[in-house]
Amino acid sequence: MSQTREELSLELKKHIVEYLNLLDIKPEEINDDTPLFGPDLGLDSIDSVELIVLLDREYGVKINNPTEGRTILVDVNTIVDYILANKK
Amino acid sequence: MERVFVTGTGVVSALGIGVESSIAKLRNGESGIGSAKHFTSKYTNTLPFGEVDLSNDQLIDLTRCADETGVSRTTLLAYLAVGQAIDSSKLTIDELKSIRTGIISSTTVGGMCHTDELYTDANLKGEPSEYVRSYGLGEHTTRLIKKFEIGGFSSTINTACSSSANAVMLGARLIKSGRLDRVIVGGSDALAKFAVNGFNALMILSENPCKPFDKNRDGLTLGEGAGYLVLEAESVCQNKEKLAEVVGYGNANDAFHPSTTSEEAFGPCYAMQRALDSCKMNPTQIDYINAHGTGTVNNDETELFAFHKIFGEIPAFNSTKSYTGHTLAASGAIESIFSIAMMNNGELYTNLRCSEPLDTFGTPQILDYKAGVEINHIMTNSFGFGGNCTSVIYSKI
Amino acid sequence: MYITDLRSISPQKTYTNEFLKGELVHHDGIIFNVTEPDYMELIPRGLLRRMGKAVRMGVGTGLPLIQNNKNIDGILMGTANGGLENCIDFLNQIVEYDEGMLTPTNFVQSTPNAIAGQLALMDQNRGYNTTYTNGGHAFENTLLDALLLFEEGNAKKLLIGGIEEISNYNYNIDFLADHYKEVAVGNFDLIDSLTKGSVCGEGSNMFIVESEASQYYAKIEDVEQLTFPKEEDIELCVKSILERNNIQHNEIDTLMLGMNGDIDHNVWYEHVSEQLFPDTNVLTFKHLVGEYRTCTSFAVWLSAHILNGERSFMSSIEKRKIENKPIQHILIYNHFDEVNHSFILLKK
Repeated sequence: MSQTREELSLELKKHIVEYLNLLDIKPEEINDDTPLFGPDLGLDSIDSVELIVLLDREYGVKINNPTEGRTILVDVNTIVDYILANKK
Repeated sequence: MERVFVTGTGVVSALGIGVESSIAKLRNGESGIGSAKHFTSKYTNTLPFGEVDLSNDQLIDLTRCADETGVSRTTLLAYLAVGQAIDSSKLTIDELKSIRTGIISSTTVGGMCHTDELYTDANLKGEPSEYVRSYGLGEHTTRLIKKFEIGGFSSTINTACSSSANAVMLGARLIKSGRLDRVIVGGSDALAKFAVNGFNALMILSENPCKPFDKNRDGLTLGEGAGYLVLEAESVCQNKEKLAEVVGYGNANDAFHPSTTSEEAFGPCYAMQRALDSCKMNPTQIDYINAHGTGTVNNDETELFAFHKIFGEIPAFNSTKSYTGHTLAASGAIESIFSIAMMNNGELYTNLRCSEPLDTFGTPQILDYKAGVEINHIMTNSFGFGGNCTSVIYSKI
Repeated sequence: MYITDLRSISPQKTYTNEFLKGELVHHDGIIFNVTEPDYMELIPRGLLRRMGKAVRMGVGTGLPLIQNNKNIDGILMGTANGGLENCIDFLNQIVEYDEGMLTPTNFVQSTPNAIAGQLALMDQNRGYNTTYTNGGHAFENTLLDALLLFEEGNAKKLLIGGIEEISNYNYNIDFLADHYKEVAVGNFDLIDSLTKGSVCGEGSNMFIVESEASQYYAKIEDVEQLTFPKEEDIELCVKSILERNNIQHNEIDTLMLGMNGDIDHNVWYEHVSEQLFPDTNVLTFKHLVGEYRTCTSFAVWLSAHILNGERSFMSSIEKRKIENKPIQHILIYNHFDEVNHSFILLKK
């Protein structure tokens, strides 16, 4: 059975919490449309690089630079779309 | 208050060994950046480097230290440059041994340039390597003290890329305060997988040789090297040839972000302004600036803005990192040495690869070599991670 | 210069008041770890999540000092190794992912100047800012720089400190380099154990120092440092620091020595306490916090409290007590691995 979108989304949130060491934020608390770089999570440019590494290591999906990342690393939804479109 | 003079210099970088041969290349617009021959890393195939074209064995021969074990490349480069600085200042053994002679060095990687050995030792993966006592950042300083028998105060600074500029500043202050008669100041950094991968992870390394202050710049080129200056109090160097006077210095923190400079360039502005204030100089008196000029989008844009804020009409400037790459802790000292030679030669060396100069505030970048220029006061800038910014001003004798 | 405020995170309960009330933490073994406070109250979690132990301890001690003392003119830190755990974590990534795509946070956090940089950022402090990494002299360098800044009239109030963290990695490296004992020792037996090597400690000790003050814990008169001295250099150094500060030899009533249970290292301390100052009180501190390259920052923290009249912990640090010698001047003598030697002179 292949992973459903919901499963992928939750798994991604777990990775985000782990890679960025988001203290006292639970993966389930991140909504699919919470802006990653908004006030709720408060991520910054270094996190965007961490996210690029996460996508490479966990999903084999490449983003070449932070500029390209801007349109992909918007919220969990946009990242899931990108993974689904690019995962081999 | 004692005046502080530069009475000797020593340098090794991608431009070669010694001030003379380095200056010849600066004059001809010959860059030292290219493919690395001695450094081993996955990135040597894809990225250019400003490598010192000497193997560790050649460096051991040149510095006659085959009898020591675990001498890191960082230390070897320092041995070479400090030896030259001492020779060029004609310091005697007695002067070196004096309790009133000090050394202030700096490095960001220290012995960690031996990445594979450090991996083995730190993770207990085998027998201790010969470098097991050599990783610490202060280790190269301790070895310099032993090798050159330096009798007095010592310090090691790590304020990232502004480290050796702070070494110059502390050295000058210790002489002015009367605590030291002379002090050897500078820094050394060898190419290291550690730095290459770190800068690469931050995505600020260019795939091409860096283009400081060009519109199309896309990152820095890492280099390696060592630079040391002998600073002496006026009272102990009256009959000696003096290369320059250290007149001003300023240190500030940008207090903005761990690895980028604020848009307002608070840190760079304060550093330059404090340097000017410390010697009561007007911005118009500065004839040349050796910019930090790494070639990253962020540095060059903010530094140029800082020039505009401090100087209004910006003096001629260049980034000699376009010749050597970014030599990290060593850069402040190496660039001071090049700038002093430039001042004494009355020459302006070209900022390489600046074909479409950033022109927000005119184009004061030195785009062509010029000779016969009167240069009396120069400023060098060094800005680092952690927000550490330092500027130093030298005057002609 | 005057110590007007201070903070410590150490293997003792120094962050809260228990240590000053006489409560001691017993350590058995070669590694004396700090008791870290709960930082969540103090440090915004967006920042805390990225911090390695050295930065965390540094901010944990420095931030309350910044918050309680306005208008600080500069930040000066001494740390021989900085965030070494982050550093080697990054190195391990380099090797294990064969220089592939790596996360930059470890790299940025591992630079020793990250502590002073982070404190400057949190205080929006654009003043003088520097970091010394000179092995066993890293903290001493901050003292001298602070003295200079005050003398030059370029500062009135500074934050200074010494920080070192224990990670598995630096423990391994220093273990391979023969710094530590082969057999575990209880901390109250450390000083007299006198075998090869010492124990591994860590901590962050920070101070607000001011050029002028009416109320203060102690006055730091001066600092002297020597590298690779001969025995006679030690005596000359003592003479010079006393002369420079117009203090008679017999005015030094108390020595604070860096004795660490290493039989070779002890010779230097014995020389100073037996030959140069045979009639003084002798205090020790490394059995409380272990050996590390910037541990003189803890000795200064302890001395400042003693000079300010704290006494509950005295019996645990007295090595030699002389009757009728009230503590007015403390001379700290320390060396790291017989290479970096230093004297720090404090006055009531």
